[in-house]
Amino acid sequence: MKTTNTTWQATVNREHRELQIDPSRRLLDIIRGDLDLTGTKVSCEIGRCGACMVLIDGEPVNSCLTMAYQCAGKEITTIEGLHGEHEDQLHPIQEAFLEEGGFQCGYCTPGMIISTKALLDQNPLPNDHEIKEGLCGNLCRCTGYGGIMRAVQSAATKCQQQDTQLPTQQQIIR
Amino acid sequence: MLLNRESSGERWRKRRDGKEKVTGELRYLTDMTAEGMLYGRVLRSIHPHARILSLDVSEAEAYEGVIAVITHQDVPGLNRFGIATPDQPALCEDTVRYIGDAIAAVAATSLEIAEHALSLIHVEYEVLETITDPTRALEESAPRLHPQGNVLHRTQVKRGSTDTALADCAYVVHQVYSTPRQMHAYMETEGGLFVPESDGRLTVYAPTQHGYKDRMQIARILGWDEERIRVISSPIGGSFGGKDELNVQPYGSLLALKSGRPIKMHNSRQESVRAGLKRHPMKIEMKTGMDEQGRLIAHYVRIVADTGAYATLGAPVLNFATEHSMGPYRMEHVDVEGVSVYTNNGLSGEFRGFGGNQAIFAMEGQMDRLAEMIHMDPWEFRMMNRRLQHDPGPLEQRILQTNGLEQVMQALAESKLWQRKLQLASSADSEWHDNVEVMSGLSEESSTFQPPWIKRGIGAALAMHGAGLGYGIDDPAGGRLALNEQGKIEVSFSYEEFGQGLIATLEMMLMDLFQCEPDDLSIVIGDTDRVPHSGSSTASRSTTMAWMALQRLKTPFLQTILKIATQITGVPSEQLTTGVKGIRLLTDDPILLEESEPVITYLEIAEYMSQAGQQEQLIFDTEFAYPTTPDAVVGGHYLYTYAAVAAEVEVNTLTGHVKLLANYHTVAAGPVINPMGFLGQIEGGSVMALGFTLTEDAVMDQGHYLTKNMDTYLIPTIKDMHTSLEVEAIEDLPEGDTFGPRGIGEIGSVALAPAITAAIRDAVGVWVPHLPVARELLIQPIETWQEEGVSPR
Repeated sequence: MKTTNTTWQATVNREHRELQIDPSRRLLDIIRGDLDLTGTKVSCEIGRCGACMVLIDGEPVNSCLTMAYQCAGKEITTIEGLHGEHEDQLHPIQEAFLEEGGFQCGYCTPGMIISTKALLDQNPLPNDHEIKEGLCGNLCRCTGYGGIMRAVQSAATKCQQQDTQLPTQQQIIR
Repeated sequence: MLLNRESSGERWRKRRDGKEKVTGELRYLTDMTAEGMLYGRVLRSIHPHARILSLDVSEAEAYEGVIAVITHQDVPGLNRFGIATPDQPALCEDTVRYIGDAIAAVAATSLEIAEHALSLIHVEYEVLETITDPTRALEESAPRLHPQGNVLHRTQVKRGSTDTALADCAYVVHQVYSTPRQMHAYMETEGGLFVPESDGRLTVYAPTQHGYKDRMQIARILGWDEERIRVISSPIGGSFGGKDELNVQPYGSLLALKSGRPIKMHNSRQESVRAGLKRHPMKIEMKTGMDEQGRLIAHYVRIVADTGAYATLGAPVLNFATEHSMGPYRMEHVDVEGVSVYTNNGLSGEFRGFGGNQAIFAMEGQMDRLAEMIHMDPWEFRMMNRRLQHDPGPLEQRILQTNGLEQVMQALAESKLWQRKLQLASSADSEWHDNVEVMSGLSEESSTFQPPWIKRGIGAALAMHGAGLGYGIDDPAGGRLALNEQGKIEVSFSYEEFGQGLIATLEMMLMDLFQCEPDDLSIVIGDTDRVPHSGSSTASRSTTMAWMALQRLKTPFLQTILKIATQITGVPSEQLTTGVKGIRLLTDDPILLEESEPVITYLEIAEYMSQAGQQEQLIFDTEFAYPTTPDAVVGGHYLYTYAAVAAEVEVNTLTGHVKLLANYHTVAAGPVINPMGFLGQIEGGSVMALGFTLTEDAVMDQGHYLTKNMDTYLIPTIKDMHTSLEVEAIEDLPEGDTFGPRGIGEIGSVALAPAITAAIRDAVGVWVPHLPVARELLIQPIETWQEEGVSPR
C-alpha cells in the first residue's frame, strides 16, 4: 500500500495547519484522524447525510467527499471553530439548538449547525421553505426536524440581533 | 395540554447533556481512540445461505501490519449470542445463513491494512438454496435453517367461535396487509473501543441499550466471569432498538484479547445495513365482521413475520404484534394465529414499536374499511366499538385501568384538524372550490389555488400500546440514590442515553424531589462498574422505572440526610428540608428559600460523613420489577399508553407523490416530566413513522440488499416533514396511581401509518394495504381532471 505524502496546508478553525499526507486523503479523515477534531461525524460516507459537513471558504461541504488536494490552502471551519470570542462562548446558532431542543442523540448536530451557519450567512432571514432547502442535505433520525426548524428560526433572530447590536456599539464609540 | 415551549413554562429546560452536543465536544464511544490501538474489521459472508467448505486465514495472518486474525476456533466460550435465544454465531463454523454472517475478523495497524487483509482470507462455499419467502420456509421441502426447523415461534389467541360468527356477520372486511423491512438508520453506526486492561480485565466502550446484558453475553462468549468485563455504553448516537443486540462487541473483545492491544471498530454504513437489524416485515391477513349496526362481532387474524436468519427478539416481537392485532376494541369472537419464520433475508429484530406498528396498521385499516361499508364516521365507529375502562386487556388479562383511551378519542374528535374534516364532509356536496376555501381558511400552508390533480384528505387512527417486557419475561428494575463524596446528590441507573433525553428527565425528577439545582446533582448511567442493575432502556420502560425507583428511595434518603443535618447543626429535622446547595430551613417564603444560605451544605455533610467513615449511611438501593399483569398470559402487558393521530395529506395524482400536511397527535401517558423530551419523542417517532409509511424499505433480492446506503434507503429529510404537528399530552392518571409517568418512546411511531392511508383514501379513493405506499397506485387517469377543464402547467 504505497502512499506519496506531500505537504498540505490549510487554515482550520482560524489556525494554520501543516501536515505530511497523501493528497487523496479524505478531509473527513484529516479532521477526525490527523487533527483529532471528532466533532465532525462520520455516517454515510457518500455525501448523503451531512454528518461530516464543514465550511470551506464559507461554503458547506461534505468532508467525506473532499480530498486533501481539493481543500489545500483554504479556510476550513468545523463545529469546534464556531464558538464566539472565548472558547466557552456558544455561537447564537448553538444557543438556539440548545434552547429549542434542536437535537436528541446529537450525532447529526455538528453537521446540522454547520449547514445552518452557511444558510444564515447567505440568507439572514430565511423563510420555512428556504430553511428546508438549506438543510435538506442533513439527515436527522431522532427529532423529526421539529426542534431543528424552531432552532433555525430562533437562530436567525438571534444572529440578526447580534448583528444589529454591533454597529450600535461602534456608533457609541465614535 | 398542547405541548410547546410556551405552554411548558419553566419545565422547558436546556438539556444537561446539550452543550457538549451542540459544540461537538462530546466524545461518542465511536470517537474514542487509545495509544497503540489496532483497527478491527470483520469478514462477512458473500452468500445468503451456504456451507463453508474451507477457511484459510494464513495469508492474512502473514501480511505485514496484521496483528491478529480470529475465526470460530478462537472463541473460548459459547460461540453464540442473542438476548433471548442465543442462536447467532459470533463467528460461523460451517454454515452461513445471511449476508451479514461473520466468518473471520482481523486486527491491523491501519484500517487500510485491515481492509486489505480481509481479501487475503480464503473461504470456499457450497451455495445452498436461499429462502427469501417465509411461505417457502414453511414448506416441508424447504431446507432447514436451524436444527428445530424454520419456525422460530407461534402465537395463538382464540375466543368464541370465529368461523361461525363471521359467517353470520352482516358485513365482513377481508384484507391482507404488508409492511416493510424498515431500518433504524441511527446516524452513528455500530462501533466502539475494546481495551484489555493491565489488571487482566477488559473494558468495552460500545453503545447498547442494556450494558449488563452485553456484559453477560460477552462474558459467555469469552468464557469469563462477568465481573472481569466493564461495559461503558453511553452516550449513543441513536438506537431505536437497533443496538439492543450485540453487534461488533464479540469481534472487538476477541481481537483485543488475542492481540493484547486496544481495538477500534466502527462499521461503515454499508456494513451496518448488511449486518444490522431491521423491523420485521409482516404479512397480516384479517377478516373482521360486524352486525347491521356496526358492532364488531368477530375477528380473524393470521400474521406471518419474516425474522431472517436468527432469532433476536423475534418471538417477543410476534407476541407483541399478536396482542396488538385486536386493537382497543370489544369483540366476542377472536381467532388470531401468528408465526415467525426463519429465512435468509438479513436479520429482523427489535425496533421502536416492537411489532405494534405492523399490527396497528392492519387493525386500523380494518376499522376504516368497516366504517365506510356502513357509511359511518370512522371515529364514531371506533368510539362505538372501543373497549371500556373496566374491560380486560387484549389478551383478556387484568390491566391497569385508566381512562386514557376515551380521553385521546375525545381530544382527537375536538381537534381543529378533525373538526375541519367533519366540516368538509358536511359540505361534500357543495362545489370543489368551496372545499379549498374551507381548507385555506384554517391552514396557513394551504394554497388558495389547488389544481385538480392535487387532492387532499384527512384520516385518523388509534393506538393502545403496551409498555414493559410483558408477562413471563424477567423485567428487573432498581436504582441507587446517594450523597457522593463531592457533596452531590447522585443517582445511578443501568439505563442508557441514546438521545431520548433520559439524563434531562432524571435531572428534572431530582430537582422536583429535592428542590435543588442542576449543580447539586450527579447522574451516573451506562457503566457496569458504577451502576446498579435496573434493567434495560427498552419497551418505553425507563422513565416509569426511574420515577418508581426515586419514589422508593426519596423517603429513606431524606430522613437520613435531615437526621445527619440535625446531628451536626442541632436544628430539629422537622424544621429542615433539602434545597439549593444544601439543607435549608423550611419556609413558605420563596425569597427566603432562594436567597438565604443553607443551614449546612451538601458538601459539608459529605465531608462530615467521610471523616466519620460513614458515607455508606447515605447510599440507598432499591430493587423491584416492572409491573406486570397478574394473569399468566405470555407477553401480556399491564401498563398501556394511548394515542390518537389525525393526518392531512396532499396527493399529487400526476406523480403519486404524497405529502403530509397537518398532523395531530394526542397521547395519554400520565404526567409530562420533561416537555422538550416528550415533544421530541412524538415529533421524532411521527417522522420515523412517516418514512415507514411512504418511503422506507430495505429492499432485498435473493437475500442481498439492494438498498445499501442512505442514497437509496430513503429516510425523511427536513423537506419531507409535516407542515405542522400539534402534540397534545393528556396527563390525568387515576387517583392514587403509583406508577407515575409512562414512557412515550414508542407510542409516537405506531399510529401515523394508518392515519395517512385513511387520509389517502379520503383524498383519492384508493385503499393502500401495503407499505410503503406505492406511488403507482395513486397516479390517476388524466381524464378525471381534464373533464374539469384544467390542464397541468
